[in-house]
Amino acid sequence: MSTIDDKATEVPEDAAGESAETVPPEQEKEEVAEKKEINKGLVIFVFIAAFVASLIVGWILFPMVLYTQENQPIDFNHALHLEEVENSCESCHFFREDGSYAGVPKLAQCVDCHDEVMGDDPDELAFVENYVQKNIEVPWLIYSQQSDCVFFSHAAHVKAAKMDCVSCHGDIGESTSLKVYEKNIITGISRDIWGKNIGGIKLHSWDRMKMNDCAKCHKEETGNQGACFQCHK
Amino acid sequence: MKIDRRDFLSLGIGAAAGIGAGTALSPLPWKLIDDSSIWSQNWPWTPVPPDGAVSFKNSVCTLCPGGCGITVRKVEDRCIKIEGTKGNIVNNGGICILGLSGLQLLYGPTRVKAPMKKDGGRWKEISWDSAIDEIVKRLKNIRKEGKPESVACVSGTDQGTVAQLIGRFLTAYGSPNYIRTSSIADSYEIALKKLHGQFSSIGFDFENSDFVLSFGSGVADGWGSPVRMFKANSKWKDSKDKALYQIESRLSNTAAKADKWIAIIPGTEAILAMGIANVIIQKSLYKKKLIEKYSKGFNNFKALVLKEYSPEKVSKITGVKKSEIIAIAKKFAGASRPVAICGSGQGRTPGSIFEFMAVHALNALIGSVNNIGGVFSVPEPDYIKWTEAEKDDVAAKGIKTDRIDGAGKKYPDTRYLINRLIDSINSTGDSPVELLFVNGANPCYTMPDTENVIKAFKKIPYIVSFSSYFDETTEMADIILPNHTNLERLEDIPLAAGLIKPVVGLSMPVVEPECNTRHIGDVFIQMAKLMDGNIKASFPWNNYEECLKKTLGDKWDKLARDGYWVDENSRASRGIFDFTPLVKNNRNLVKPEGKSKLTLIPYDSMRLTVGYIGDPPFAMKTVEDTILKGNDVFVEINPKTAADYNLSEGDKARLTTSKGKAKVRVHLYDGIRPGIVAMPRGLGHTEFDEYLAGKGENFNKLIGPVEDPVSGLDAAWGIQAEITKT
Amino acid sequence: MKVDTKQKKFGMAIDLDKCTGCGSCMVACMSENNVPFKKDETNKLDSITWIKVYKVTNDKKYPDTDLCYIPRPCMHCDGQHGHAPCVSVCPAVATDNDKSTGVVSQIYTRCFGCRYCMAACPYHARYFNWWDPVWPEGMEKYLSPNVSPRMRGVVEKCSFCFHRYQLAMDKAYVEGRRELREDEYQTSCTQACPAGAITFGDLNNPKHTVHKMVQPDNKHHGKPKNPKAFRLLERLGTNAKVYYLSDRKWVRKLGDNQTPNEESSKKH
Repeated sequence: MSTIDDKATEVPEDAAGESAETVPPEQEKEEVAEKKEINKGLVIFVFIAAFVASLIVGWILFPMVLYTQENQPIDFNHALHLEEVENSCESCHFFREDGSYAGVPKLAQCVDCHDEVMGDDPDELAFVENYVQKNIEVPWLIYSQQSDCVFFSHAAHVKAAKMDCVSCHGDIGESTSLKVYEKNIITGISRDIWGKNIGGIKLHSWDRMKMNDCAKCHKEETGNQGACFQCHK
Repeated sequence: MKIDRRDFLSLGIGAAAGIGAGTALSPLPWKLIDDSSIWSQNWPWTPVPPDGAVSFKNSVCTLCPGGCGITVRKVEDRCIKIEGTKGNIVNNGGICILGLSGLQLLYGPTRVKAPMKKDGGRWKEISWDSAIDEIVKRLKNIRKEGKPESVACVSGTDQGTVAQLIGRFLTAYGSPNYIRTSSIADSYEIALKKLHGQFSSIGFDFENSDFVLSFGSGVADGWGSPVRMFKANSKWKDSKDKALYQIESRLSNTAAKADKWIAIIPGTEAILAMGIANVIIQKSLYKKKLIEKYSKGFNNFKALVLKEYSPEKVSKITGVKKSEIIAIAKKFAGASRPVAICGSGQGRTPGSIFEFMAVHALNALIGSVNNIGGVFSVPEPDYIKWTEAEKDDVAAKGIKTDRIDGAGKKYPDTRYLINRLIDSINSTGDSPVELLFVNGANPCYTMPDTENVIKAFKKIPYIVSFSSYFDETTEMADIILPNHTNLERLEDIPLAAGLIKPVVGLSMPVVEPECNTRHIGDVFIQMAKLMDGNIKASFPWNNYEECLKKTLGDKWDKLARDGYWVDENSRASRGIFDFTPLVKNNRNLVKPEGKSKLTLIPYDSMRLTVGYIGDPPFAMKTVEDTILKGNDVFVEINPKTAADYNLSEGDKARLTTSKGKAKVRVHLYDGIRPGIVAMPRGLGHTEFDEYLAGKGENFNKLIGPVEDPVSGLDAAWGIQAEITKT
Repeated sequence: MKVDTKQKKFGMAIDLDKCTGCGSCMVACMSENNVPFKKDETNKLDSITWIKVYKVTNDKKYPDTDLCYIPRPCMHCDGQHGHAPCVSVCPAVATDNDKSTGVVSQIYTRCFGCRYCMAACPYHARYFNWWDPVWPEGMEKYLSPNVSPRMRGVVEKCSFCFHRYQLAMDKAYVEGRRELREDEYQTSCTQACPAGAITFGDLNNPKHTVHKMVQPDNKHHGKPKNPKAFRLLERLGTNAKVYYLSDRKWVRKLGDNQTPNEESSKKH
């Protein structure tokens, strides 16, 4: 047992370090120095280890825990459909006459073509058998679904501001397979709103759709970030 | 190497610092803060209404007799909102509080969700087949016993195909006892029959009137077709030359909207009308040529009016100043398109026929009968042209028996006497009614002397309710065959609320039936088919829709497209105006029962529905806290009278009449005649949901029917009451 | 991108001589905006009614008594410098005054329920959710997707049915327009009023009926030039966008909330 330790027990805790350094017994100085060295190294090591571990937890493990992965009911091939339709995205994702946006198509639209199985794709077969024939709506998981307090006007962006779909939705139109839907276990909201990058690093305009992203673009494009009710309900 | 305490601390701090720094530089804390705030802003139990394609469906509202066009906004298959239909002949976009709350009835907890049978005092769900079988079995037995006339029906209306189908069923079955609940429609009908010699409904050309003299009619409180009346009232306001005078003992919303409020002693309205007639005749302000050409018995009327109704005398009885009576008469006779109307409050209870005739005589005197801006006698819409129901011997015999309510006998011009139905059940040992159908009516709440009504209903061996909601009468029933609600059902709606042409509206299903309900028309067709013989033969239709389409014929397309059809060919009956019945029934007035000093009167408000449907939660929410506070209802009383009874604002008191007692609270109101206590109608429900039941007191518990000597209908407008502070 | 810079100032004129106090506006509003209800709504302090119809009397004895109903939505105040009383006190920026429409917003998810705004509002137009809303089973079916249902602990108020403006604009955009016709954006209460007592429109647009009715004087913070028109508590300088009209002097005086003797004291 070292005396330092004994001494330390004798002095009040907050003064322990100080007294140990101000009046160290001669013969123990070296030992202390050596010990300090070890300590310092160890502390730095522990610091770095903890630091790295936390980074790993924060950057890698945390998102794995935070999001559950859900597969879409049918693996939809956007690229394939885009070739077939005449009016690009708007063929299926269209505006209704009243100006509202239909969003993800309903079964009724799909049935226009998929009344019966057209090809030999197993996903199409499953779609027709499980949904078309049973007349059940496909429970699509919507990547870009905002929470209920958000009012988003597609008409204002697409029709009035003439923006293209890619600006916000990325190149989903060219995908041949649907990516996994990731749902936030706390909020229940799609990962696409925060962005795939857990650090919020944004490389493309469509990478993240938080309020600040909306406000930033509004500020750049219209000169002001807009009033609350412009996007909230 | 040993790890001592100091090391441990250092390492701990190091680790903590590492974790701290690492975590701070990782997205974890920031993302968690963000997520938890989103989480706390969107609790999972806060509903998120699903979005979808919006559509609009038109129909006609049947929650009151007003007949407004409604447009229901839907998101996918959900109804979101009810709005008034723009361009509709009745309401042109406007809508009342009850119509607006319709979705709370559709999706609400008061619905009867499936056929129900009372089993040991509790409701038990049964299948449609067994429910109908049970009723048919009973009907067959009653018929076998040779008492078909003991089957009766109480209904809110006798017009339209549904009412006619039920009536037809009763006729073929052998019962004359189809009974309509009463309202001022009865009083006007009888007054017109007496004065013009033929049955017709009353119509008012308010949109073109320039002076409206209202004897207590709540034109801004829900009288007639409420939305139409509000619109007319606004039209009068838009023009400086148009005016509304309100004769009423209480400053109602209508009186407040009126250009003049004449605070009369209640129950003396007819006397005032006669007094006004006196001035008009005395000063020769009436249309002499018209009277000479188109009337009978004018001289007797003139003599009577001049002798008995001088402004001095009338002033003493009515409490209206002599100068005021003269001024009203001059204003009325001097207007170019005046009209006089009556039927107090919303007109839900019939009135004194003498009063209706006296008021109508004013219209006749100044030429406002069947004239622009005046009153019209409107024939009932005549579009149901079925062959007569087939009758076998049992039916032929049964149909000739006397009506249980005695209508048409002592009072030949009265077609239905529901108040007498209650008496005839209660006055005999066994109920003369073996089986009762109830449709679109809630007599156990809406009829005076509620306790007596409930007693009668308890005596009826078997009651079949077709109500969509658990109302007071349905609770008395033995079996419920729930009808679709107004938003789920197809039905023609003849509009009876004072339009000048016969109009038929079409109520269209705007949504798939929410519960296991069935259209009442289909139920009667189905029952007829199970009854065999002449009854089956009288119902050649497979279902109600087929029946309605065949009945409407070429009108169907117009109705389906516009929602209503106007019988443009109908002409007001241009009969002679006969003053004789008015003279003959001089002063046949209805006096309030009792001997107390105070008079209790009811008042109607748009925010408290008084019909067979109870106030939905939204409407209840609008009721002021000077009308209802907690479960206490407030009665209005003049501060002067309150002082006499040592009552101050908010005091709890007991209100006693010869019919019953009620716990109330007192609201001091300057806008009411001293000596009067006014109580709102529409509260004190015992059924429906927790948002309505048990709140306040039912006015009908405190008043009893008083028969009008001319029509036999209940014409009680108030009752003597005692109030004591508790 | 071209931005529409023409500023709107949506406002309302309510003809108190036509209003019958029927309550349609209140229910039309509740139904449009997913306003909840509870078993007992007779304590009006916690009863949420975005538009509330007040009943006032002239305080005269029988039979000279007169009464008037005053429907009170949110006044959407502009204040003297574009600040509504409620907006300037909100520590959460949960409410703002939209300069392009004049509508004062309320963002429920941003509100944390301090209720400063309620204290600041001279019209009692703001309501606090003391409880989570509960709809009887099945009744949540009628909830509209256009307005978020609120949760416990937040303040809510009349929005001039702003979602209707949004939806009308969507329609206009799809049809290639950027301006709305007067009738395209109307609040639910305006639309429902059976007496036609409520007029809604752009106070900045001389063609709109509401402008013609009140003749707002924008040089003097929107004071009405029509002598029949007035605003509630005008002298507080809230610069409200809701105007009232009445032929009755006592109503106009009461609306401005003059203290007794105020008129006479001014003369001295």
